[in-house]
Amino acid sequence: MARFVTVFLVIMVGLFSLEMMKPVQDHLVVPFTGLLASLSAALITPFDSSVTAYGKVLQFTDSGFAVSIEAGCNGIEATIVLIAAVIAFPAPWKTRLAAITLGFLAVQTLNLARIITLFYLGNWNIDVFTWVHLYLWPALIMLDVLIVFLVYLRYLATDTAKAANA
Amino acid sequence: MPEQHPFRQFLLLAFALLLPCFAVWSAASAWLAIPAIGFTNMILTGWLPDFVAGVYVQGSKALLVTQFGELDGRLVPANQAGDTIAYLLDHRILSYSMPFYTALHFATPGEKRPGSFFVGLVVLYALLVTGMVSLSLKDMMVNLGTQFLQHPTAAVPPANLIALVYQFNVLILPTLAPVLLWAWQSRNTPLLQQMIEPLTREGTP
Repeated sequence: MARFVTVFLVIMVGLFSLEMMKPVQDHLVVPFTGLLASLSAALITPFDSSVTAYGKVLQFTDSGFAVSIEAGCNGIEATIVLIAAVIAFPAPWKTRLAAITLGFLAVQTLNLARIITLFYLGNWNIDVFTWVHLYLWPALIMLDVLIVFLVYLRYLATDTAKAANA
Repeated sequence: MPEQHPFRQFLLLAFALLLPCFAVWSAASAWLAIPAIGFTNMILTGWLPDFVAGVYVQGSKALLVTQFGELDGRLVPANQAGDTIAYLLDHRILSYSMPFYTALHFATPGEKRPGSFFVGLVVLYALLVTGMVSLSLKDMMVNLGTQFLQHPTAAVPPANLIALVYQFNVLILPTLAPVLLWAWQSRNTPLLQQMIEPLTREGTP
């Protein structure tokens, strides 16, 4: 257990430090955040003609309400926590890589839902938007990470039991 | 005897409890933060008396009052400016760790050590205070700039350290700390015991 905690913390601090470096921000974090904004727009605009998107901004043409998707809204921090936990837990590397890939997709899917719901909430009521944006959604995203990790641990436990019974 | 599904039970309860826990916290967060604001005031006025006049309760937020004011667009000591520069601190971006932890704790089936919930809350409360200090340092660094960072006598940390500590204490710990606390306190529950079995086997031949 002590080894897991140590490896988890070391990887996490390492990845967070890496994330803060300017070249990583310029070449990975900022373009990825822009991609998320484009994806959110691509998901909304076919169903809602009152929405327009430019760069990393989503805007309602009728009310003028807009959101800008910034670093910190991109789920990267949550993904880093997941990566650190998966790598720190003993398992075959192939399984760890699959868990990271699927976990990344799960976190980003929820993050897209977060961006879209916040966009509509903000247009409806700015106080509710602030509350959900600053307090509730961060907890939900971390809960998502926890659930993904627990599902992964369950899979590993089942797999080990099957191998033992074979 | 009915089959137990601790994981399913945990999932259902975690989602079911999250909103009520956040609603109670939302109603109570202003008074819940009062002692933390007091501790932050004690730390900052003791550590950086040249910069911080005090940290006070301001409605549902905290108010960081500096020793500076503005005169003709320049930062000057507050007594020369005739006014004081202050910053509002939203302590709720830190204290939402508590309802999150509460939901996780009570959603977990199985026996836990008595008092573990309160131990968890105390740890999170200590993190709330460190978070508020980090938030204050970041605000002063951004707004007071070189006057803050290059003060000849005050023990002001370097800008990169303030940024790193802010990132960790304010942006990461409020969501991560509840999960880590919960995982540690629930390691012997039926939910986690079987899953973390490979970790408990570590070190055995």
